[in-house]
Order: sequence, then C-alpha cells, then structure tokens
Amino acid sequence: MEHQLTAGVPTDLSRIERPQMSVKKSKRRESLDDLADRGVLSGFDRKRPGVKITMSAVHVVLLVGLVVAGLGPILWLAKAAVTPTQDTLRQPFALWPHGIDWANLSTAWNDIHIDQYFLNTIIIALGSWFFQVLVATTAGYALSILRPKYAPILNGLVLATLFIPAVVLLVPLYLTILHPPIIGTSMLNTFWAVWLPAAANAFNILLVKRFFDNLPREVFEAAKTDGAGPFRVFWSIVLPMSRPILGVVSVFAIIAAWKDFLWPLLVLPDPAVQPLSVRLPAVQSQTELDVFLAALAISTIIPVVLFLVFQRLFLRSAGLGGAVKG
Amino acid sequence: MKSAVKIAIASAAALALAGSLAGCAQGAGGDSGGKLQLRVATFPPGADQAAYDAFATQEKQFEKLHPDIDIIGVEYEWKAPTFAAQLAGGSLPDVFLVPFTDTKTLLENGQLMDVTDEMKSLGYSDKFNPVILNEVKDDKGHIFGFPRQAYANGLHYNRDLFTAAGLDPDKPPTTWDEVRKDAKIISDQTGKAGYATMTKGNTGGWQLTTQSVSRGAVDQTDKDGKVKSTIDNAATKETLQWLSDLRWKDNSMGNNFLLDWSGINKEFAAGNIGMYTSGSDVYTALVRDFGMKPAQYGLTVIPTQGDDAGVLGGGDVAVMSPKIDAAHKKAGITWIDWYYMQKLLDKDAAVADAKALAASDQAVGTPVLPVLDKATYEQDQEWIKPYVNVPLDQMKGFSDGIFDQKPVGESKVQTQPIYALMDNVVQAVLTDQNADIDALLTKVDSDAQALIDGK
Amino acid sequence: MTMTDDPPALAEPMRDEGVARHPQKRKRVRNPASWVRGGGLSNLIFLAPMLIVFAVFSWGPIVQSVVMSFQKTNLVTPAVFVGFDNFAKVLADPNLGTAIVNTLYFAGLALVFGFPLPIILAVLMSEVKRGKGLYSALAYMPVVIPPVVAVLLWTVFYDASPNGVFNVILGSFGIPPQPWLQSSATAMPSIVIEATWAAAGGSIIIYLAALIGVPPELYDAAEVDGAGIWRKIWHVTLPQLRGVLFIMLILQVIATSQVFLEPYLFTGGGPNNATLTILLLIYRYAFQNSLGGAYGEATALSLMLAIFLGILSFAYFKLTERWSTN
Repeated sequence: MEHQLTAGVPTDLSRIERPQMSVKKSKRRESLDDLADRGVLSGFDRKRPGVKITMSAVHVVLLVGLVVAGLGPILWLAKAAVTPTQDTLRQPFALWPHGIDWANLSTAWNDIHIDQYFLNTIIIALGSWFFQVLVATTAGYALSILRPKYAPILNGLVLATLFIPAVVLLVPLYLTILHPPIIGTSMLNTFWAVWLPAAANAFNILLVKRFFDNLPREVFEAAKTDGAGPFRVFWSIVLPMSRPILGVVSVFAIIAAWKDFLWPLLVLPDPAVQPLSVRLPAVQSQTELDVFLAALAISTIIPVVLFLVFQRLFLRSAGLGGAVKG
Repeated sequence: MKSAVKIAIASAAALALAGSLAGCAQGAGGDSGGKLQLRVATFPPGADQAAYDAFATQEKQFEKLHPDIDIIGVEYEWKAPTFAAQLAGGSLPDVFLVPFTDTKTLLENGQLMDVTDEMKSLGYSDKFNPVILNEVKDDKGHIFGFPRQAYANGLHYNRDLFTAAGLDPDKPPTTWDEVRKDAKIISDQTGKAGYATMTKGNTGGWQLTTQSVSRGAVDQTDKDGKVKSTIDNAATKETLQWLSDLRWKDNSMGNNFLLDWSGINKEFAAGNIGMYTSGSDVYTALVRDFGMKPAQYGLTVIPTQGDDAGVLGGGDVAVMSPKIDAAHKKAGITWIDWYYMQKLLDKDAAVADAKALAASDQAVGTPVLPVLDKATYEQDQEWIKPYVNVPLDQMKGFSDGIFDQKPVGESKVQTQPIYALMDNVVQAVLTDQNADIDALLTKVDSDAQALIDGK
Repeated sequence: MTMTDDPPALAEPMRDEGVARHPQKRKRVRNPASWVRGGGLSNLIFLAPMLIVFAVFSWGPIVQSVVMSFQKTNLVTPAVFVGFDNFAKVLADPNLGTAIVNTLYFAGLALVFGFPLPIILAVLMSEVKRGKGLYSALAYMPVVIPPVVAVLLWTVFYDASPNGVFNVILGSFGIPPQPWLQSSATAMPSIVIEATWAAAGGSIIIYLAALIGVPPELYDAAEVDGAGIWRKIWHVTLPQLRGVLFIMLILQVIATSQVFLEPYLFTGGGPNNATLTILLLIYRYAFQNSLGGAYGEATALSLMLAIFLGILSFAYFKLTERWSTN
C-alpha cells in the first residue's frame, strides 16, 4: 500500500515490455557492459593527465561520499545500539567511552517485544506477497492468454485504477475495512486488512500481463493439442516460464509491505498485530534512547542482510521498475 | 487434470494457513469456553513488566470473584489521532477511558453507553462530587460513565536539577517570576532545559490554557447558549510573552519544542527538564512507563496571580460503547465497579488494590482530586495510608496548597480541536523569534470562534 | 473441485479460441453447458481473485469516495447529501493554503536537491570501471533501511542541542548548531534532506540502467566531431536520458505531492504548521479529531488532489507508451 500511496503509478514500463529480459540474459549483458561498454569518457580521454587526475579525485570523493551517506548512518546506528544513552547524547561520535552495553539489544528484543513485531512484519509481507502473486498471475493469465471477449473491458478497468492515486482510497478503503461487504464483520486488526488491499495492485497485473503477451503462443497451442486444459497450461507451462517477472513482482511486493506505514497504522490499531513500522514510533516516547536505538538497529538488520544476499535482484528490480518511494 | 487439483489444494492450504495466522492474531471478542470475554483498557503501550504483573494480579482477583468473566487487558492510551479511528472502527476495548473534555460531545453523539440505571442500582450515584458527575450527564440527567479520577494541574520539578543548580528542592518557586528565575539558573548551571512546555497533539493548547488560567484567563464564555471564544485575552498574552522571554531572552527552555504528553514525560524522567506543568496524577505514569527515579521528583502547585486566577483541572471517565451487547454491558459494569470504583468506596477493596499495586512497585497515593465527596475521599486516604509508597513529602507543596486554589474546568465546546489550534500558537512562539503574539492570538480566536459556530 | 470434472472438454474449445482471434464472430449456442465447455467457467475462475479484490478494495472505494465527497457522515448517524458543501468547506479552510504552499515548497526543494543529485552521481558512477557493484550497493543502502526506521534515526541526528549528531559535525567545521526540526524556517529543508537521502539511491540505479542503454557509437561519433567531455555529456548523454529524466520528474512530482510519512513522524506538521502537507491535512480531517472524522471533507480534498495527480499520471503513461514503442 505504501508504494501505492507514495508513488501510485507504474514506473519505467518501457523496460518491462520484453520477456527476454530474463535473469540469465541480463547477467550476461551486465558482464559484457563491464568489458566492452564505454561511457562519456573514451580510452583517449582517460589517458589525458588532467582527466586522469580529476577522475581519480572524483573516485575518491565519490567513494568517501557514498560510504559516509550510505554506510555512515547504519554504522552509527550499530554503534549507538550498544552504547549507553548518556554517552550517545554527550559524545555521539565517541567510541564507547564508558564501555559497550550489549544488554540494550536483549532489552529491546524482550521488553519492547521486537520479536513479536518482527514476526508480524514477516507475516504481513508474506501474505501480501502471496495475494499479489496470486491475483497478478491468475489475472494476467486470464487477460493475456485465455482472453475471453470481455477481457479488454476488464483490462481497461484495471488500467484505469493506475491513474487514481491511492490517496483517494484512504478514507473509503478504511471504511470498507470497517464494514466489508458480505462478510459483515470488521476486518480491523486482522492481517486481511493489509493483505487484500495490497493485492488490488494494477501495476502487478500490467507487468505480468505484458510479460505473458510476449510468451510464445506456439507452446500453449502445442500443449492444448496434447490435451492440456487451461489449469494445466497455467501451472505447468506459464508459471515456470514466468520466473523472471515473478521475481520482480515478489521484490516489489515484499519491499512495499516492509515499508508500509500509513495503512497498517490505520487498520491495525491493536499492538498485538502491528508491524515494526507502526510499532516503533508508538513506543519511541516510552523507551530509553539506547534501547530504542537498539530496536531500530535490529529492525534494520533483516532488510540489509536480504539486500546484501539478493543484491543483484534488488538492483535489477530497482533499475527496471524503480518502484521506490519518492 | 492433476494440475487443477494441485492448484486447488495449494490455494486451499495457503488460504487455510493465512486464515489461521489472521485468526490467531485477531483480537478476542466473543465467548470462549463458556466464559464471557471482556476487553478492558489497561495502560499505555510500553509500560514496564511490573505494571503488567500488577494488572495480572488484579485480573486474577476479579476472575476469582466472577468466574464467568474472562478479563483481557488491552493496551490503551487516549490520544486524539488514534481515538477517532478506533471509535469509528469499533476497535476500542469494551471498557475504556475518555477525558472530561470529550465526554459531552461523545454522549451527545450517542457514542457512549447509558449507565444511569446501573449506577443507581450500585447505590452511589449520589456520592459523586456533583460538579464532576455533571461532566457525564446529558440534558435529561442520564449518566453515561463513571468518573474515576480527577486531577488538577501542578508544577512538576526535578529535585536533582534543583540541587545541581544550587537551588533548594524543598523551596520550589511560588510565582511565575520565580519560575523564570529558577529556570534560568538551572539552564545556566546544568545545561538542561530549566522549563519546558508541551506543544504537540493538542497538549500545547491544554498547557497554554493551564498556564493562562493561573493568570486569570477565561477562554470561552457562554451567554444564554451563545458560546464565544475569548482566547485573545490579556492573561494568555502574558503567558505567551513569558514563554517567549524564557525561550529567546533567557534561552532556558532547551532545544526540543515539539513535545507531546509522552515526549515531555520522557525528557523529564530522563532528567533533561527542570520544571513543567501537567496533571497532578502524572507521577504514576512517570515511574511506571517512563522509568523515572522517585527521588528526583518534586511537585508543587502552579503559581497563581491575580484575583481571577484558578487551576485548570480535568479527569477521566470509565465508559463503554453503546454497541456492545447486554451481557458485555453487565460484565463491563461489574468490572468498572470493581476495578475503578470500589477502591474509592470500600475499605477492603481499597486495601486490596493498594496492596496489589504496592507489591508490584506501582505508585500508591499519587495526588489526585476527589471524584467522590470529600468525606469519602478522606476516609479512603486513611485506608490506604499504610501502603502509600509515593514520596508524599516531595509533593508537599502541592498537597498543602491545592485546596486553597480555585478549581477551573476546561472549556466545554470544541475543546480538543481548539487546543489543536492553540498548539500552533505555542509552537510559533517557541520556534520563531519574530512571532507576533498579538496577531497569533487574534487569528486563533477567530479560528476557534469559527469552530464553535460551525458545530 | 468442480474445476477438475471435465478436463478434455475444457481443452478442446480452448484451442479453438486461442487460434480464432475473433471469437465474437463465431456462432455460439447460449446455454450453460456450452458456456462451460467454451472455457467460460475456467475464465471466470482465473479472473475471480482479481475481480473480488478489485471490486471490494479498488473500484468500490473509488466510487464510494466520489459519493462520500458529497455527503456528511460521522459513521453513527446515516449519511446526508450536502452537495458541494464539503468542497466549499475545504476550500475555505485557511490550512489548505498553508498545506498547498508547504507541499509545493517540499516538492520544489525536493526537486532542487533530489533531482540533479542522482543524475550527477549516476553519470560519475557510470564512469567507474571497477567496483561498480560496490558503488551501486552503497548508493542503494539508504533505500534498504525501512523508511520509518530512517526517519526515527534521523530524528536523533537532528537533535537540536549542540551535542546532536549533525550539530557536532557542523561544529567541527566551525558552524554554529542549527535548530533543524525545531524552527519553522529549517524544519521543511531538514525533512527534504532526509527524504532526498532516502530516495536518491533508487533514482541512481534507474539512471545507471538508462546510461547503459546509451549507444557507445554516439560518443564515438561525437568524438569524431571533436566534442570534449562536457559537450559529450550535454549533447549525447543528457538527450539520450531525456525520456527517463522526464519520467522520473513526473514520478517525483506525483510522489512528493503525496508526502506524508516524513512530516507525520518528524514534526506532526509543526512547528506552527510549517510542515503541514496536503496528505497530512487529509489525515487530520479524517483521523485526527478525537470526536469523529470529517470524512466528507477528507474525501473531497483527496478527490481534488487526485484529479491533479490523475492528469499527471495520464501524461506520464502516454509518454512511457510513446517512448516504449520507440
């Protein structure tokens, strides 16, 4: 919901068009880039002494700048997480003038119940991921491959929602959660209230549908000739072929769920089901600074580790969709 | 067609998993095992373990007396932004607390349960302080809640900072001029904020009103049903000028000017604030939720000046939503009576409550104003005396002086939204050296009038 | 389980439909059995998740928001139609002017800080021959930190005391301590700095991806014409990035018009409404008043913002479509 609320529109679609942008190919392209690609500077430019010195200087400045801006806050947070409050307040840059306070971490984990909010965050992310993938793949399949004759109308209705910023939905969607049609009982304080609205994501459907549009028709035809029904084609042929796009949708879905703030703040007022993003601001004023910083540090670890492990997928998704908050 | 079966099974499994996850997280609300589950408000999120322990003890005591009711404590803090959402969403506990300022509008909107008959049959509706009971009555005399606690605003100060600055912690300031002087000394000597005031989430308006009322301000007048905003008055102007002087001339208010109730409590408990005004009952929260050391705490009355000066007070009411069913209503009344009221009325209950709190190191004896008549209140104080664990001698300034001050209730119409407007005035004065106090007051007065008229 | 009943029958007409691109021209017998055999049922099964989720959580609320903007409702008494009252009230609210000015101020500052910086960094980084991955990872790191954690951490950095993190850094350059969030004048720029820091990494990655797509021949050709480094950047790089630059510009405007998280958590809109943004105002209308939300006003304002953003999104969509077909 967050990415809807902040940047509720698709991003660079031009790059998502072609399904050949598979993991393998882009990898190969990237490595080719490293060898053969040239940018503004030519080999000749690089040999000119003025340029050479300038570029070295630029590299140093760039590296230092990126380390300070990119790593600095995280490293400071890591340090402050195990520093007593008074040291952090009096000498924010001193390295443990009065020793390291490891107890902050366990206090944060046990007393603020970070463990529970962590679990909530993961449940919210996984559920949102599941429903987004479910809706996007089934709808993409129906609209692109099964293509009933009313498909264009539905397609238009889905696309139209892209032009409507999520802010319009805030209040009526909230009221829908309070009084959902048919079920009748309020979905407030249940994970459904976050999962299901997240699944109504036209951008995902657009991504998947365009990908399916470019899959080779002959394969489906052949399968049908062999007696495979629509479910079998979907499960055994289309889904395995769409791993690359599913990876992208998954990254978007999980990042968005992890970052989401306003929506869970509204629909999950009960602390027992709140994710970290909602809980951390709520306990801020009741928590001593050192323990609070430890809680922030713990909350940062998982995304950072995930990023370091799946760096390539993250950066590729970001470069391609740029569904980053603005 | 195996694939379709597989998909169906996989989706069913996934849905079942999702359902069970959602289910286990869903707040309890019905009956389980024949017991009626009653969700009751406890304390703000982030309280320390002892508070939970104390509540668990009391929960057990209650459930032993009423085996058919299963009490479920729900973290709860009345906060303007979340309260409306919770109210609209029906996610409030079955029993919760609202401040006097909201009670009138809520009951007029039909958002509170009528408890007139229940209170009468409990037999103590005539024992309440009539002024306070009036806060929960509608025009026809129906009663919509149990006033459970009242407070007057007081001046809270940090004894350690007083000592560190060379001031006598047993002689807190008694005039606003002395407060200013002491704030400057504390600030100069210790580098901490000598004085601070709340500014955010409607509390800025609340405390501006408190400090203005102590200089004789009246923010609203009601002539034959025609309500007029009178915020633009000399006393409020004087208060703002006084704050401006502390901030810009003395620089004795520290660096953080975006403080709400919890924010200022946290800073005070951490020893970063010399003095601030807030409700007299905040000691409980300071120790329980903010980890304050009792020894550093001091409380005295707010300085008053002029003949019209008074001390702003308030309180809260235990209420229920009108939407809950009869069984929950009955259980809710039982809980309110047992948890909030009996300890004010009955010796055994008072002693048991004080004992349970004291055993878990929770505050007993925090200064409040009586919601019941004075005789009952004094009797109650007598009962719990052996268990009092708050440093009463550090609160002497307040307990000695409070009954000489004139109590003033908060404005009746659009109180919280007007406080929200006044937040901006306080913020402007504290964060903009060139703030034009006259212009700010003229504007807030007309905006407040618009809110009143638009009602 | 009904979907498994009749597999071969489902498969047969599917093949026909896949081949015949104009199913509406074929004769059809209108009865349920042939509808099922024609794949109608499986179409619906695949469309069901999307239809349900969109009907309840997207299309429904969109319609509801239009209706609600003409209604007065407090969720207790029944809603009453009030014509354009809500719009009139919102337009007469002095806070609206403040919120619009603040939002424009935020958007403008974000453009000044946040738009050129990633471009410059991306162009510089694309000239790095070795360790590009490291540079990208460093630049992307702030995007990985959950936004709520980032804001809460920066609240500590922005501590206005002389011992605050940033004030210590400034102090080491001999600059006096700044009030940061604690002054009407500096609160908004402070928020923008954090927002820029948090978002720049995402933009850099997108620009890096776009820079790879600049054909090297263009640089070669420019060099043949005797172009220097600056002229190559001006006449080759930037024109080639024109498309993505414009897209990012629109996206940034759309995102910044809906900024909420940062002002909400940093300042709550203060001091003295200096950081009150449009979305924050909508939130205040709907959710801030403890005595029930002005849902009508909130939806009316959302709708007006949505129309503005809808036009932007549409322009954006048309542009991406044009560029993607090129």
